[in-house]
Amino acid sequence: MSKPAMTPPPASMKGGIGRGMMRGRPVVKPKDMKGTLLRLWRMTEGKRKGFGWILILSALSSLTAVLSPLVIGNAVTAIDCGEPVAMLLVVLMAVYLGDWLVRFLQQYFMASIGQHVIHHIRTSLFDAMRQLPLSFFDRHRHGELMSRLTNDVDNISTTISDSMSQLLTYLFSIAGIFIMMVKLSPVLTSISLIGAGLVLLLTRVVTKQTRKLFTEQQKILGKLNGQIEESISGFHVVRAFGMEPEMTAQFEQYNEELRRVSTRALIWSGYLMPVTNVINNLSFVALAVISGVMALNGRISIGMISSFLLYIKRFSRPFVEIANVYNHFQTAVAGAERIFEIFDQPKEPDDVPGALPLSAPKGDVELRNVVFGYQPETPILKGISLKIAAGTKTAIVGSTGAGKTTIINLLTRFYDVDCGSILLDGHDLREYRMRDLRNAFGVVLQDTALFAASVRSNISYGHPDVPIGSVVEAAKAAGADAFIRRLPDGYDTVLTQGGLELSQGERQLLTIARAVLADAPILILDEATSSVDTMTEQKIRRAMLKITAGRTSFIIAHRLSTIRDSDLIVLIEDGRIAEKGTHEELMKLGGRYAEMYRTQMGEEKK
Amino acid sequence: MKLIVRYISRHTLLFLAGIAFLSLEAMADLLQPAFMANIVDEGVKQADLGQILRYGTIMLGIALLGAVGAVMRNFFASYTSRLIGKEMRSDLYRKVQTLSFENIDRLQPASIITRITNDVTQIQDFINGCMRIMFKAPITCIGAILLIMIQVPSQIPIMVIILAVCAFLILCNMRLGYPRFGIRQTRLDRLNMVSREFLASIRVVKAFGAETHESEKFDRASGDLSEAGIAAMRVMAVFSPLINLTVNLGTVVLLWRAQYRDAAQIGRLMASVNYMTQILFAVGMVSNILNTAVRAAASAERVREILEEVPVQQETGSKVRGEAAEQEPGEARRESEYYGQVEFRKVSFCYAGAGMESLKDINFRACPGETIGIIGPTGSGKSTLVNLIPRFYDATAGQVLIDGRDVIRMDSVSLRRAVAVVPQKALLFTGTIAENLRWGRQDASPEELRQAAETACADDFVDSMKDGYETLLGQGGVNLSGGQKQRLALARALLRDPKILILDDCTSALDAATEAKVLEGIRKQSQGMTVFLISQRISTVMRADQILCLEEGQIQGLGTHEDLMKTCATYQNIYHSQIGGGAL
Repeated sequence: MSKPAMTPPPASMKGGIGRGMMRGRPVVKPKDMKGTLLRLWRMTEGKRKGFGWILILSALSSLTAVLSPLVIGNAVTAIDCGEPVAMLLVVLMAVYLGDWLVRFLQQYFMASIGQHVIHHIRTSLFDAMRQLPLSFFDRHRHGELMSRLTNDVDNISTTISDSMSQLLTYLFSIAGIFIMMVKLSPVLTSISLIGAGLVLLLTRVVTKQTRKLFTEQQKILGKLNGQIEESISGFHVVRAFGMEPEMTAQFEQYNEELRRVSTRALIWSGYLMPVTNVINNLSFVALAVISGVMALNGRISIGMISSFLLYIKRFSRPFVEIANVYNHFQTAVAGAERIFEIFDQPKEPDDVPGALPLSAPKGDVELRNVVFGYQPETPILKGISLKIAAGTKTAIVGSTGAGKTTIINLLTRFYDVDCGSILLDGHDLREYRMRDLRNAFGVVLQDTALFAASVRSNISYGHPDVPIGSVVEAAKAAGADAFIRRLPDGYDTVLTQGGLELSQGERQLLTIARAVLADAPILILDEATSSVDTMTEQKIRRAMLKITAGRTSFIIAHRLSTIRDSDLIVLIEDGRIAEKGTHEELMKLGGRYAEMYRTQMGEEKK
Repeated sequence: MKLIVRYISRHTLLFLAGIAFLSLEAMADLLQPAFMANIVDEGVKQADLGQILRYGTIMLGIALLGAVGAVMRNFFASYTSRLIGKEMRSDLYRKVQTLSFENIDRLQPASIITRITNDVTQIQDFINGCMRIMFKAPITCIGAILLIMIQVPSQIPIMVIILAVCAFLILCNMRLGYPRFGIRQTRLDRLNMVSREFLASIRVVKAFGAETHESEKFDRASGDLSEAGIAAMRVMAVFSPLINLTVNLGTVVLLWRAQYRDAAQIGRLMASVNYMTQILFAVGMVSNILNTAVRAAASAERVREILEEVPVQQETGSKVRGEAAEQEPGEARRESEYYGQVEFRKVSFCYAGAGMESLKDINFRACPGETIGIIGPTGSGKSTLVNLIPRFYDATAGQVLIDGRDVIRMDSVSLRRAVAVVPQKALLFTGTIAENLRWGRQDASPEELRQAAETACADDFVDSMKDGYETLLGQGGVNLSGGQKQRLALARALLRDPKILILDDCTSALDAATEAKVLEGIRKQSQGMTVFLISQRISTVMRADQILCLEEGQIQGLGTHEDLMKTCATYQNIYHSQIGGGAL
């Protein structure tokens, strides 16, 4: 939806963040304020409706700042000379009423424009994130990523909605007031300019310091959030092992670190306001004395002094505020840079040009000398070659950690092979459109991921439009229907995140129903039946037999009895295929498989 | 708000020091126009250059004094607010550690996380704002009004009216703003939950090609948040310009009334107008600060909810435990003093909010050294049953006894030290493998680590890793397979050398051969250890000393494999489905 906003990352940045980037070790490079702001600006493309109005309103609202002191000054002179002031006061009132209207409109519209922009940035970020390869998510702490989606984006939001409109107003004010001041007295103006210059100089020095500190602060905040997330969502293990003191100690360490850094950041950035204030007060003193002397010489009227002093308050104020707004900017830019880091991550590889559509694959799968490792130095699969005919059932067995799950990761292109290739219907997986490819696979994974949504939408996940009838059918096929009906609201029961009110087995049944509903031509069952009790499993196996009929299917199971009827059994050992064949063939072979089978059966028969 | 005050009062001195310096700064700002009035009235009007310079020098001194105040209050504000933020986070975190499982289930981890992170940040920023601006505004306001009153007493009624109107507007602002910011906060929670869920389920999202669906979900949550933000800010958009207008109109009236007064006091009139401008800025800041105050109050409320959450177990336990601590100091036993005899007496259990009981009238006794197999269909209450032993939950009726004592009367820390649980879902934490294993026992030697890993059949794959036991695991141990995680979780539990070992279907991802080897190792090591062995596989439990066959929260059969084959229909069914009809 927001494709145009996602500008391709500059080549120079892309190179730095490759496979080797590890969590907690961010690429330290000169942070680029101008570039980041420019990028932010480009991101708002298409969302700038109303920016023009805000500009006009800002100009108008600074008009009051320019006009009112002049009118007041004239009124003071009039009073001083005993002249009538009624007319001047009516004008002043009109100016103030206008000011009220403009301010109201400005804030009112700015609220929605700012929020819309931020909504846009947030969704773009999420959009970019969801296109990242799995390896990215495996490498980063979830809390850290969440911190980017909320904390960092929030920082930008504060800047945009609160500071932007103020910034504009102040800039206009400075310009307008400057003109008025010069008209009143060039001498006094030049004195106040010296003050303003000092303020600007100071701002530069301070912000240089603070930006680094703010970036550091956000980083530690991410670390702290990660720790909190991990320890609180895993609280039952923490509790079972009585590790509360250790986790708390670690938390305290990060917490203290955050306090230290953020105090420093705050103190530094906080110096701006008071010190600029002091400079302003000093120039106020200088002006008071000099204007007093000038009035003594008759070069300036009392009303003019009055106006000028009001102007100088208003002239210096925007400088103070701009400094303040600039501080906000620091935080926002630091946050934005972390956000762009995500935009700059290499996405899941795009479909190759002219990628093949895949609507109804036959299901011939071939692995050709596949080599793969999560870290290139330690390959998990060391050259797997395998040919699987369409419509057959293949069981992958092997001791734990042999690389069974890894094969699934490769088939679904969660990861891409390092060497060799995987072919589906005679074409390399990478030649297909990713979307079609994943649709071709129905998977039941080890992790039972359930969402905070109704049972129905959990089963129809990925296919939101299917009628309830099909959902029930799928649930029945998976043997989940019975327990679902026992839930308070049946299929409309809303689960909590992770479906914690269900037992592990029930959760598994739901994910199986999900795969049944997906009705994909190729099925992958990864240890899916391991947590379902055997009676339930009988039902599932019967259902699976039904749905695997005519489909290419891969099964990873531990009970060898469940896979005895597979067309092909592949035994993987140490990243290589050790044995393959049907159950009978392998038993006849009398190798490792036969041994495993006998151990298991023998044990069961005792 | 009370909560915030309570935290501030812990650092009264720091806070007051900050406020004192803030007042100094505000005073310096306020005195400038007063001396300016003197310059005009006594210097310019009287054509006295000496007076002008004299007052000028005084103003300079005041400005410098103000500078000192500003720098100091900046330091105090930064230091104090971050310190309080840290303490609040720390208190929350520690509090969560004391909560019962039921509390955490109810509060939801995602929400707890937002409270510890975002809400505390809001409060901390508010306190910082307080010490910088919020207190300066009233000081400036009151000071300016007082000075106007002293210099031009005839203006008192106007000032009172302006103040009253402003106060009224600020109150309205608060009334309308407060609930809207509350909604915003709730929506932020929801957004957090959606993103957390997405991250946790990323594999499924990708496998089902549901990225667009997740995007839409996020889109909706983010859109809702934006809408709530707009609603909240629009309230501000209505009131803050109105407050401005009030003060501005005050200036007009001030001038209007001044025209009938003595023209000789022109310097004072100028000062008054100047003060009005200061009041305007101060009031403008008030509405700005209110913005954060409303947010902070909403956040404080949510923080308070956790801090005041009463641990479900403590409610029944603390009285008893309190007594125990005072009267029976021997209650807090060391783990070596446990024998490991476990008895359930008429135990029933019902999850909070669940309509039906998960366990009904459970009776059995397990002796030290025994292995108790627990088998039964999905959702029959197997995990719930064992969760009562280390007091993750407390029985709603009946008693769970260890060594003849009700667990409710025991100190849960020492109790949990004597019980090791290996959960279904093997959870590992960021850190090295060795660090994860040492959760079992902090002072375990490398040999002990290796031994535990060996028993759990984990040493092979750990050795094959490049850094061995020093290999860094990602969050949740993402770089390991399910079976590897389970074996590490097992080793972690074994290292603790517990009196009671609970294996909650924790070998499900292991192949049969490895599982057999692991169980064999445990049996060898488990002399004198009471082992609860939950499994779906009859082959896993059939060698247990006693087998507990559960269905729908009730014991269907209790006895050895042979007993149950004779007496328990449910057990026979399971047996035949697994062993008899293995091939289907």
